[in-house]
Amino acid sequence: MSSTSVPGAAKNIAASVGLGKRRYRTNTIVKVLCVAATALALVFLASILFTLLIRGFAGLSLTVFTTSTLPPGSHGGLLNAIIGSLIQTTIGTLVGTPIGLMVGTYLSEYALGSKLGDAVRFVSDVLLSAPSILIGLFVYAVAVAPFGGFTGIAGCIALAVIVIPIVVRTTEDMLRLIPVALREAAMALGAPKWKMIVLVCYPAAKQGIVTGVLLAVARVAGETAPLLFTSLGNLNWSTNLTKPMASLPVTIYQYAGSAFEDWVQLAWVGALLITFGVLAINIIARFVLRDGK
Amino acid sequence: MSTTTSDAVTGPATHGSVQVRASSAIGEPRIEIRDLDFYYGAHKALKKINLIFPEKQVTGMIGPSGCGKSTLLRVLNRMYDLYPGQRAEGQVLMDGQNIIDPKVDLNALRARVGMVFQKPTPFPMSIYDNIAFGVKLHEKLSKAAMDERVEWSLTRAALWTEVKDRLSTSAMGMSGGQQQRLCIARTIAVRPEVILLDEPTSALDPISTLKVEELVDELKNDFTIAIVTHNMQQAARVADQVAFFYLGEMVEVGPAEQIFTAPKEKRTEEYVTGRFG
Repeated sequence: MSSTSVPGAAKNIAASVGLGKRRYRTNTIVKVLCVAATALALVFLASILFTLLIRGFAGLSLTVFTTSTLPPGSHGGLLNAIIGSLIQTTIGTLVGTPIGLMVGTYLSEYALGSKLGDAVRFVSDVLLSAPSILIGLFVYAVAVAPFGGFTGIAGCIALAVIVIPIVVRTTEDMLRLIPVALREAAMALGAPKWKMIVLVCYPAAKQGIVTGVLLAVARVAGETAPLLFTSLGNLNWSTNLTKPMASLPVTIYQYAGSAFEDWVQLAWVGALLITFGVLAINIIARFVLRDGK
Repeated sequence: MSTTTSDAVTGPATHGSVQVRASSAIGEPRIEIRDLDFYYGAHKALKKINLIFPEKQVTGMIGPSGCGKSTLLRVLNRMYDLYPGQRAEGQVLMDGQNIIDPKVDLNALRARVGMVFQKPTPFPMSIYDNIAFGVKLHEKLSKAAMDERVEWSLTRAALWTEVKDRLSTSAMGMSGGQQQRLCIARTIAVRPEVILLDEPTSALDPISTLKVEELVDELKNDFTIAIVTHNMQQAARVADQVAFFYLGEMVEVGPAEQIFTAPKEKRTEEYVTGRFG
């Protein structure tokens, strides 16, 4: 028995060595492919960032923050665009967040198994992935055309419409993660359902919801298309919400395609500012999430 | 029965420490279940249950998984009401009132019948706020009175000395055993009459388990307690009376000693001696 099994065993070892080599080779090939793909992706990313940093910093000066956009050749800045972006992003977020929060709460807490809930969730998800230019056109149809002009308010509405589905999704997801036991514990103490949601579920889901809101801010801060049809852009300093309002993305859009060197330069600076703004928001979001753990 | 109610309502105002254990030996009924059926949709999970929970005694409920003991516990504070499709039929009498009547005020009922769950469920807030949460739902207390209540309940839950210096820190940072005692403190802070414990030590280590068991023994001076457990030794250690459940029926109920040493029913004997379940 043993005399026959020994050669067989030796053969098996030889075969497994061959198998080992083949696996090793396959592993190496896959590894190389993965690294190459990563490198390729990083090359594009790095190239974009590098160009942005070089060109952006080249035009960065105090005038950018102290002067509004001016005609070509007169050393204008981006002040009106920066303020316009801040105003519209802030108001859009402040309007969209509570609505999104309430819809998300409805979906998670009150719409269990209801047809209306399923419909709302579906619509919200469609809205989440809708091209933002469609949202711009929609707001143009309801808030620009009927009132006969582009306004900052319309821009805020368009951004709010983009914020809503993002906040709906994160709120619902985060509330669903809360264990049933925690909800039952609150109810078992005699809490009415709304107090259970507001006093126990919201604090438990806070980190996730705040992160969702910050990501929504980052998203709308860079939106161009919805603003083109709503707040239009404004070459002059204006904080009047009933008039057209400037914004960084729209200014970049207008300047980057222009024939004037200094305008193109300012477009680079604007792109740099948005990138850093969004980066800052993402970092804050990460910190918020980490503090929770 | 009405006198015991007023006792129970006003009694804990003295913070329990001076209460005398007068009626506990006699064991007047605190909750009386009569012909209770329970359904999960079409599935009948409890069949014709008749059981009395004597005042200020510990009733242990044992039986294999799925026998209906947790279900019964969740009837006593109407927890099942959260889920459509679950319903109870029959009578669960507390001070002559049928608490499974749809007209019963659930929040008020749950203030009288508190519950502690299998896994510790601290709320994501400070230790102090965890205790104050339930109290605030039912009473308006001054800051000083609330401080006093928090200290009282944490002391009763044998947790005060461990946490008194970090009341404002998050309850999520406590150990599992501490969290479970916090949940007990949170429940007694509302000053219920009955405390339901649903396998309160199954997620705890042996030392924490021992602490919780000691606590149960101490709490029955002031509260009527119903405890569901999978641990026979635990039931023997903490319960005054034990009810054995099997396949949705209550097979037998009696003093703990009798159930574990001289059960009347064959199925009870087989279960407590570990022959099935």
